[in-house]
Amino acid sequence: MKTQEMLLNVGPQHPSTHGVFRVVLTLDGETVVNATSVPGYLHRGIEKLVESRTYPQVLPYTDRLDYLAGILMNWGYVHAMEQLMEIEVPERAEYIRVIVGELQRIASHLVATGAYAGDVGGLTGFIYCFRDREDIMDMIEMVSGARLTPSYMRIGGVAGDLPDGFLEKCQKFIDYLPTAIEEYNGLITGNEIFQHRTKKVAPITAEKAINMSLSGPILRASGVNYDLRKARPYSIYDRFEFDVPLGSNGDCFDRFYLRILEMTQSARIIRQALAKLPEGPINAKVPKIIKPPAGEVYAETESSKGIMGVYVVSDGSTKPYRVHFRRPSFVNMGHFDELIRGWKIADVIAILGSFDIVLGEVDC
Amino acid sequence: MENIFVNAAGGIRNLLESAGLPGLAVDLIVLTVIFVAILVFVLLNVLWLVYMERKVSAFIQCRIGPNRVGPMGLFQTIADTVKLISKEIIIPKNTNKKLFLLAPVMIFMPPMAVFAVTPFGKGMVALDLNIGVYYFVALASLSTVIIWTAGWTSNNKYSLLGSMRVVAQMVSYEVPLLLSIVGVVLLTGTLNLTGIITSQQSVWFIFLQPLAFLIYLIAAVAETNRTPFDLVEGESEIITGPFTEYSGMGFAFFFLAEYANVLLVSMLASILFLGGWLAPFGLTFIPSWIWLLLKVYLMIFILMWLRWTYPRIRIDQMMAFCWKVLVPLAIVNIFVTGIGKYLYESVRW
Amino acid sequence: MFGKGLLKGLKITIGRFFGKKSTVQYPEKRLPLPDRFYGKPDFHYDKCIACNLCVNACPNKVITLGTDTVEKKKVVTGYHFDQQYCLFCGLCEEACPKDAITFTDDFELTTYDRNTIGIEFVKQEQVDNKIKEIKQAAAEKAAAEKAAAETKVQTENTDKEQTTNKEGGA
Repeated sequence: MKTQEMLLNVGPQHPSTHGVFRVVLTLDGETVVNATSVPGYLHRGIEKLVESRTYPQVLPYTDRLDYLAGILMNWGYVHAMEQLMEIEVPERAEYIRVIVGELQRIASHLVATGAYAGDVGGLTGFIYCFRDREDIMDMIEMVSGARLTPSYMRIGGVAGDLPDGFLEKCQKFIDYLPTAIEEYNGLITGNEIFQHRTKKVAPITAEKAINMSLSGPILRASGVNYDLRKARPYSIYDRFEFDVPLGSNGDCFDRFYLRILEMTQSARIIRQALAKLPEGPINAKVPKIIKPPAGEVYAETESSKGIMGVYVVSDGSTKPYRVHFRRPSFVNMGHFDELIRGWKIADVIAILGSFDIVLGEVDC
Repeated sequence: MENIFVNAAGGIRNLLESAGLPGLAVDLIVLTVIFVAILVFVLLNVLWLVYMERKVSAFIQCRIGPNRVGPMGLFQTIADTVKLISKEIIIPKNTNKKLFLLAPVMIFMPPMAVFAVTPFGKGMVALDLNIGVYYFVALASLSTVIIWTAGWTSNNKYSLLGSMRVVAQMVSYEVPLLLSIVGVVLLTGTLNLTGIITSQQSVWFIFLQPLAFLIYLIAAVAETNRTPFDLVEGESEIITGPFTEYSGMGFAFFFLAEYANVLLVSMLASILFLGGWLAPFGLTFIPSWIWLLLKVYLMIFILMWLRWTYPRIRIDQMMAFCWKVLVPLAIVNIFVTGIGKYLYESVRW
Repeated sequence: MFGKGLLKGLKITIGRFFGKKSTVQYPEKRLPLPDRFYGKPDFHYDKCIACNLCVNACPNKVITLGTDTVEKKKVVTGYHFDQQYCLFCGLCEEACPKDAITFTDDFELTTYDRNTIGIEFVKQEQVDNKIKEIKQAAAEKAAAEKAAAETKVQTENTDKEQTTNKEGGA
């Protein structure tokens, strides 16, 4: 029998490429023989755009990188700028950053969990996750005035103090979260069909993960204990007690389940931060017109997708000479086309979902 | 109430006969009326089912669902259908135009044809066919060909993948579906659907054939392309599979036909395993056709409940599940049923 | 045991089926919005001192401020807010020293026409009034000054007269 390989364009408009990602598959029946990923459909040239903006004006653009974790993106940028200008951030601001940042991390992981359930066909799990994410969105809206694009952090602090009622709401959510996680575990994680779909699918070995410079939950699912919050604590993460959950097989299931485990740890951090939240100013003394000394800085933070690195070159003027973002999703995607070879089309979607990419971040 | 439809049919027949029409013409007219009635019944149910699915999914997902068009959003499906009618039917380039347009027209045929032999209540059957079960199995598998035609003529790679899945899935799941029914047929010794119902007078076959019922349920879900076996449509993988290129009414036909199939397999399930129109606990004051409807809707609710709980299985796992689990189980079930029946008949306690 | 997870999932979904719904029936009911919400911008003409800080703070050059100098005073003649490019980051609100630009909680920003997206906050009559006010104030001031000058001249004159008288008398 004469058979032929088929070329299939998955995306840029496809229900489960999480945006406008395109991957060109060469198929033998349902099996992927070859794959080429084609990112760039959401490229807005943010790195170039911000060169013509002043330092504070860069901030709203960082929201648009990983729009599911805007605050963590803000954090990456302000962290780099604070290192460049050697600003000491006040205690209270650091605590607020940790609280809001970890809330955002939970929100981002909730999207990952829910979207993954949707990717493998269980739309109810998707809705449940989004229902609970809505609580976090409300809280972020309370502190920053926007749901997705908070622009909450400022160089040297945060935009505003925590509003009235925030602490109670946050506490309430943290208390509720275990119930919700139990529900996800019952509906999604514990489901045998789901486990059949994800276990032993596309495993990444620890060695390979390190070689491909993966970071975040994908790296830790392969059993590599590397979380910047523990390995090289920035901000005040060295003051909190939390574990770094690790996977063992590095397959889709581990990558998925690790995020649920991380939500619990984030909740733990928030609980401690809420208890220890000090009084005080929320902004360091920063000149009105920000003119960092000429020089360059590269600073890394742990975003929900992995290591978010920000590289800023300053020429001493009010505008950055060059800004580069090391977007974790983009770097993680480097391993994608190699990984999906030999798996079925349905697995391609499952693997892509387990990577939890955000196209705003991949294409920048 | 019990004989309202039977009496109506009889009334029409009497009227025509008293008008002096020849017997053949009377039969023809009465049958036409009955078939039109079935058609209307099925279409109304399909419209309701689309609404019901949306409501059930919404309730499961902590939402409210359609509630704007008409009271409780009851006219939502009608509004959607009207919208789809008004849409342009886009025909892709380089397609076989005739087959492309024929497929959505044909898709309603197999379920409609099967409804001709299903008993809707006591004495309420359009054609009391002696080989009803066989007829159902033979016709229900026809929709495979039609969906495959739709996918093939769409000239789209997603459609092609979807239609290949249709062939693989529906042909495979015909086997356990058929084998699970064999158990029931063994017990009754008849292929007549009315006969199968009447032989459940003492006990429903779901209690005698629990395994067969389970296999039938799984195979039925696969036959109707619903989650966890909705690989044919699998919207997160292959968009909507064979229906990707269809727009407007073409798409609506496939969409509505899916619910006609749901109605059909649920009806068959209640006839074969749940005692059809027989009333449980001697509650005979409720008409038989209402009992049948209740059982059918119980089955439909279970199907919807399953759909909105489970994720989708993968194609190779699904095939393995069919041939390595369901088919052997169904064969074991036939053996056990046969041996049991032999023992029962030889001992006769 | 195989199937336990499947049954647990069914239990969860049927529980939710009969459980409380979390939908908010939007146009009739609305969720409360926090005070910091960035909705449609609002401009307070009287508070604005035309310092241009908001224009400089905006990352996207959304705001165009028109000023005119009337009688050595800056008058805002136009405040165009090109809403389609707004990021709703709030940097302009933060930059404003007089709270002249604020954000309301109106989030229904859809329009039928592209031309109506941009908001021209300043009305011509406001400018006219302001200019008139300033001119009037200036005129009054001038008049007052003049009057003051005149009285001064007069007093000077009277002083002179008095002195001359005195001199004369002397």
